[in-house]
Amino acid sequence: MGEPAITCDGLTRDFPSGRALDGLTIDVQPGEVLALLGPNGAGKTTTMRLLNGVLLPDSGTATVLGMDPWRQGNELRARTGVLTENAGLDERFTALENLVVMARLRGIDADVARRKAGDLLERFGMGHRADVKVQGFSTGQRKRVALARALLHEPDLLFLDEPTSGLDPAATRDVVDLIGSLATEQGRTVVLCTHFLGEAGKLANRMAVLFQGSLHAFGTPAELAQGLWTGTEVRLDLDAPATAALLMNLEALNVVIQAVPTPNGVVVRVTDRDAVPVVVATCVAAGVPVYAVDPHDPSLEDVYFEIEARAGAVALPEDS
Amino acid sequence: MTNSPTKVTVEREPVNWSVVRVMLGRDLGAIVRSKALILPMLALPLVLLVLLPASIGLAANGKQLRVERFIDMLPTALAAPVMAHPPQERLVILVLGYLVAPLFLIVPLMISAVTAADTFAGEKERRTLETLLHLPVRDRDLYIAKLLGGFIPATAVAWSGFVIFAVIANIVCWPVMHRLFLPTWLWMIVIVWLAPAVAAIGLGIMVRVSIRVNNTQEAQQLGGAVVLPLVILAVGQTTGLLLAGPKVALGAGAVLWAIAIWLNIRGARAYARDTMATRL
Repeated sequence: MGEPAITCDGLTRDFPSGRALDGLTIDVQPGEVLALLGPNGAGKTTTMRLLNGVLLPDSGTATVLGMDPWRQGNELRARTGVLTENAGLDERFTALENLVVMARLRGIDADVARRKAGDLLERFGMGHRADVKVQGFSTGQRKRVALARALLHEPDLLFLDEPTSGLDPAATRDVVDLIGSLATEQGRTVVLCTHFLGEAGKLANRMAVLFQGSLHAFGTPAELAQGLWTGTEVRLDLDAPATAALLMNLEALNVVIQAVPTPNGVVVRVTDRDAVPVVVATCVAAGVPVYAVDPHDPSLEDVYFEIEARAGAVALPEDS
Repeated sequence: MTNSPTKVTVEREPVNWSVVRVMLGRDLGAIVRSKALILPMLALPLVLLVLLPASIGLAANGKQLRVERFIDMLPTALAAPVMAHPPQERLVILVLGYLVAPLFLIVPLMISAVTAADTFAGEKERRTLETLLHLPVRDRDLYIAKLLGGFIPATAVAWSGFVIFAVIANIVCWPVMHRLFLPTWLWMIVIVWLAPAVAAIGLGIMVRVSIRVNNTQEAQQLGGAVVLPLVILAVGQTTGLLLAGPKVALGAGAVLWAIAIWLNIRGARAYARDTMATRL
């Protein structure tokens, strides 16, 4: 693994309204998609602004693409592309004009800017509206134009702030597919701020979960699950709730951590996947038919909501 | 453990005029396309610079107004420049030569205030400011572009308006004056020296106001509360300054420029990326 695209250590920023980010320490590898997850006000956008050198931190260090974001801000921003939560297009101009102005402010020659902008609008399905004022565009169309704008200068690192907020399901799918292609086909590093778990699950290699400015979890969903729960969860369909006797038999096994009855069977937490045949054999030996076995890896949703619940449990004493 | 700067480092590199030009082109293009900006920019000059001289010229032609009683109320030194002219010319000289000049300063002040509110606070309102902050553009270059985006229209309208004013006044008043009486030296001081200074003051005030508010309307309201007393002061004082002679007018202009430069240097310091992003 080469030098990280982003490292930050103890990044902290206060606003008059309170602490927006509290000692964030993460790293992002080149070509990786990192999802910054958390509810509104968690500190995701502040993180993005700090890492792109737009906001100054109160304390902490960071290196982004090998640069100090606050001392080499303009050099860094020349290599990053940003999609802000509100597309940030000037409604008085056409889609093409919006892109060309931004490209020229990035030092791209006018002719090249026009050609690149036209190509990107075409690629993002907005070619037919290139010369139309942005004023009448839908949210989805604005996001596409803004995404095209973020890519005009072929950045190495993309910051995408809530790229699918306000989009209908079809537009969401399109934008997620577009972002996916940027990361997988073109090897760009992407920092994705979102509170939509679906897109994070589809796109992200790792996720950082923020609540009230604090990092509560950081890693792949599997790593986070391992940190949250011991072993593997197995769901057994027995067509009836497990009896007390069966539960006793299962819990007596040294590979079983916990056994909890369900309306149609039992959920057993075992030490690892190799324990599954032992559990099934125990049921069969007890004369209980097993109709289905589902070793259940926790989903991103399971992980996120467990982290959220534990973060809430931690936060409660402070609030009360 | 911390190596993070708490203040923006001083930028000593030369101004990137290419960035300034593109940004300026964008802002001026937006002004031209916006009826909400263009209409007030044209309405006031139309009244002050076209209708007023036309009315005064017609009144002077009809010999309906006498100004001697008004001039008698002025101190002798101030009345002398008007009284030196023949009686039929005094109305034209008094109104178009002296009294309109201070009103004329409202034009650059108002236009700079309106355009500054749009280019500075308007970026927040349209939610385009964050996009600009994420560009590899220095704060100072952005500020200079925004400043020129307010200054150029204000000065351009003031100067072109004066040309129209002078042409109309000379044509309409020809039957009375029988000569080209505008521009005078005093008018040239107003146009070339005072009007840009007043525009720059308007900008300096509006930049500070715009950083603190979230939309154009708030900026105009708050800015108006600061700018309006200045307008009244300007109207009240400028005629006296002009009647007192070119040296006093030049001196007053120098004071206005000093204020404008001070305001805009402070504005540039306040227009820092971190400050702007904090208020998004």
